[in-house]
Formats: sequence, structure tokens, C-alpha cells
Amino acid sequence: METLWDFSAFAKRLKGFVLPVLLLLAWEVVSKKSHAYALAFVPLEAIASSLLEVVQSGSLFTNLIASLSTASTGLLIGGSVGLALGSLMALNQVADKFVGPVFHTVRQVPLLGWIPLIGLWFGNGLLAKTLVVCLASFYPMVLNTYEGLKNVEKNHLEVARVLGVSRWQTYRYIFIPSALPFIFTGIFHALAFSWISTVGSELLFTAGPGLGSLMQTAQMSARMDIVIVCVLSIGVTGLLMNVSFTRLSRHLLRWRVTR
Amino acid sequence: MTGLPALSSRIVPPRSKYSMSNLIHPDFSRSAKSMSGELSIQSLHKQYPLEKKRLNVLEDINLNILPGEFVSIVGPSGCGKSTILRLVVGLDADYQGRILLDGDPIKSTCTERGIVFQDHRLFPWMTVADNIGFALINRDVPAAEKRDIVARNIQRVNLGGFENAYPHQLSGGMAQRAAIARALVNEPKILLLDEPLGALDALTRLYLQAELQRIWIEHRSTMIMVTHDVEEALFLGDRVVVMQSNPGRIKRVVNVPLDHPRDRSSPVFHRLKDEILEDLIDTDSAAQAKRAKAEFYSLPRADVG
Repeated sequence: METLWDFSAFAKRLKGFVLPVLLLLAWEVVSKKSHAYALAFVPLEAIASSLLEVVQSGSLFTNLIASLSTASTGLLIGGSVGLALGSLMALNQVADKFVGPVFHTVRQVPLLGWIPLIGLWFGNGLLAKTLVVCLASFYPMVLNTYEGLKNVEKNHLEVARVLGVSRWQTYRYIFIPSALPFIFTGIFHALAFSWISTVGSELLFTAGPGLGSLMQTAQMSARMDIVIVCVLSIGVTGLLMNVSFTRLSRHLLRWRVTR
Repeated sequence: MTGLPALSSRIVPPRSKYSMSNLIHPDFSRSAKSMSGELSIQSLHKQYPLEKKRLNVLEDINLNILPGEFVSIVGPSGCGKSTILRLVVGLDADYQGRILLDGDPIKSTCTERGIVFQDHRLFPWMTVADNIGFALINRDVPAAEKRDIVARNIQRVNLGGFENAYPHQLSGGMAQRAAIARALVNEPKILLLDEPLGALDALTRLYLQAELQRIWIEHRSTMIMVTHDVEEALFLGDRVVVMQSNPGRIKRVVNVPLDHPRDRSSPVFHRLKDEILEDLIDTDSAAQAKRAKAEFYSLPRADVG
């Protein structure tokens, strides 16, 4: 009985691999069709050997670390500023009236729209990339923090008043925890956007290391195999970030009623 | 028994067939403090704005509550009985008249006044122990002592073993007990209970009524409870304040000349219950008649209440 159950759990997990395997098979079939196809759909063994190549030369690792550091710096700065501004706008009506219209106008401009200006002002190096990532993680944090803090229960605030709790304590112990599900959604989006925008900005601001830059260089020298290795690494890294953050937030929000 | 304050002899006359000595907490040092907690409400008026008009919620409320007394307030919905508690606890300072606790006017909230609401209002992100401990956040005592106080109060409401449970893991009755512990942890001079058992099932209610009584006897602080349940009001209250609505006024104050713990089947208990119910039905039908009359003459409803 026990083993049967184990098998069904294993089978369930296996389902996630069905589609990738099918895609790989299709890829292999297409790449074997002719030499012309093999240029765009690089055969799997070629990809594997170039993966080995970039791993051994260390260039994958160096560029991955560079990208991750850009992403995390931007996420940290943009996220904290977003948390602060979202809190300010949610808790202070004057600030909301003052900053709100500007914020909502500015956020309508797509990130790509800022690229020429940022390039002009800050060059095409690390600063410009980090700034793009900051912006990408800033918006979702502001919006979700704002929404979360506005959703705090009046009843809980009354309890805080009855207990003679200070404003800062109310923010720290009532507002923030009760907004935490929203804030985590914000971080979740910010995390995804920061990774996407890191790679995007590396493709556009090519100075310095990064997976995007590696990809750009590979494309220039017609190394489709390395481009594909980059695409795969970006996808897998994003997935790992996603999964680990979901785990973390599930643990931190364990006080919530599980539906 | 000589160490007992005069108060308890009032509650438990020596002729009582129920001996209270086994119900009273041995820690009498607390009872000295409990001799404060005298609440005086003097010509209290309260209005709410309603469509440019001002609706009288409370009109000329006068009530003196002795230290250590348990007063129940019953009345129809909308008679402002919960509003009184909100004013006493200090959540609303917009009223006319005077509310004095031990002679000092009440201006805002303070830990010497505790309140338990109908919904437990525990913070879902904190465990039971953290919820109760949060009430001590600004108390100037070392962390270890805070932990002791919390543990003692968890024992006091019989929640031992649930220190680390989150509110969603508790039953309604358990959550309400945790809320009572949170209100008691600062040893308030006066504890306000705003329909604390209103949302619970009948059996849990009966059980918690007895629990409340035990806590009241141990804690010896003044308590005011608002309730819809006349039997509950009579079971716990030294006095029962009967209110009427439109505008909210005190209709009658009933003294309950029965010993604690009370026998719900005693004839006096039944007579008082019938009397109070009659009062309530009376005010209800009177208000209805008034409303019907107002509609008949098509007066705006706000004029009559």
C-alpha cells in the first residue's frame, strides 16, 4: 500500500517532465532534418558540448554571477524604496495626493521607453543596468504595499489603540504583518521583473559581464549553441528563484488560513 | 476569610449555601488594587451625524459602578449599549457629559481599561502567546517577566498547551478566551465586555459564562458586560442595566439579590428574567408604535429617532 502511494506521488511529479521531453524530441527531429535546420535548431549533443565548454571555461559562471548581482542589487534598492514609498502613500493622505499622480503617470511609461534616456544620462554600464532593474522592481512593490496597507482591518487598529501602542509599533506589528501577503506578492512580481529586466538591460547596455552580454556576443559570432545555453540558464535560474521564494513565503505566511 | 475585602462579603453573604471560599483565588494581594476601579458616568450624551442631522444615540446616561462590581447592560439593538463601552474604553472622545474612573476623566485609551469585543480580534499572524504578550509591549518589565505574566494568563483562561497555536487553529470559544487573557494581562482596573459570548454556540456560551465568573472572582476588578442574553446578564451581573432605544436611555436598573454562583432555576432568577424580558419587549413595541405613527404622519424618520 505504502509503495503504491509513493509511486503515485512519483508519477505526479513525473507529469511536469512530460512536456519538456516531448519538446526535446521534437527539437531533435527538426535539427536532424537538414543542415539548414541545424543552424537554427542546434542538435542536442552540440548544445551539451557547448554547455560543457562554457562551464569549463568559467564564462557561464562569471556571467551568471554578474547578472545575479545586478538583479539582486536592483531588487534590493528598488524594492526597499518601493516599500517605503508605498507605505508613505498608504498611510499619509497628503503624501498620497502629492506623489500619487506623478507616480501613476510615470509608471505608465514602459521600461523600454526609459532605455534611451537612461543610456544618455548614465551610460551603458552597470549603473544604467541597475537603474533599469530598480525601476522594474520598484513599481510592483509600491502598488502591492499600498494595496496591502490600505486593506488592514480597522478592528485590529482599534485593538492597537486600546493597548496604547505607538504609531511606529502599529506600523511594525499591525500594518506590515497584515499587509505581508500583498507585500509578498509584490516581492514575487519584483523578483520576476528584476530578473527579466536584468537580462533585457544586458542585451541593450552591452558593457560589462552578464548572461545578456554573453548572449549578445554569441549571436554576433553566430554561436547559436551558446545563445541557447544562455536562454536555458536564464529560464532555469528564474524558475529556481520562483520556487525558492514560493517556499519561503509559504513558511512565513503559515499563520494564514489554508484554503 | 478575614483577609477578604468587604466587597466579597457583599457578593457572598455568610448564609450562602454555596461556599465561595474554594472559588476565590488565594492571591489576595491583588484584591487591594481592585478596590479602585470605580466608574462614574454623569449625564452622558452622545450623538452621531446622520445626513446633516444629529442622531441622539445616548441621552442622559447616569450610572455609578462600584469597584469590583459586575454590571450587565441589556437592551434592544441600536440602544447604544456598545457605544457606552467604546466611550468608556476611550476609543471615541466625542461626547457630552462626564465619564470618570476613580475620579479622573477618561480622555483616551489606557491599559488600565481593557476590552473584549464580540469578534476576538486576535492578530492572525501572531501565536496565542504573542497575541497576549503584545498587550505588554510598552510595559517596562524584563522579557522573562513578560513571558511569566503571559504564561500565568494563559493558565488563567485554561489555554495551556495552545501557546504556540495561531488563531485560525482555535475554536471560537478558545479564541475568545485568548482575547480575554489579552485584556486581562495588564490587570486593568475595569474590564469591558462587548457581547463577548455573542458569536458562540449555546454550550460554549454556558461554559464561558462560568469561566468569566471564575475569572471575575479571581481578578476582583470591575466588569461591565453588554449582552443580548438576559439570562447571561442575570447570571453574571450584580446589577442589570436595562436600556431602551431611540434615543438610547437607561430604562431601569435591576439589582440581582442572588448569591454567586447563581442557580438559573431559582424562582427569583426566573421572576427577574421575566421582568426584564417584559421591559425589553415593552420598549421594543413602544418604539415600533412610535415609528408606525411617524410613518403615518410621514414625518422624516430621523425626527423620531
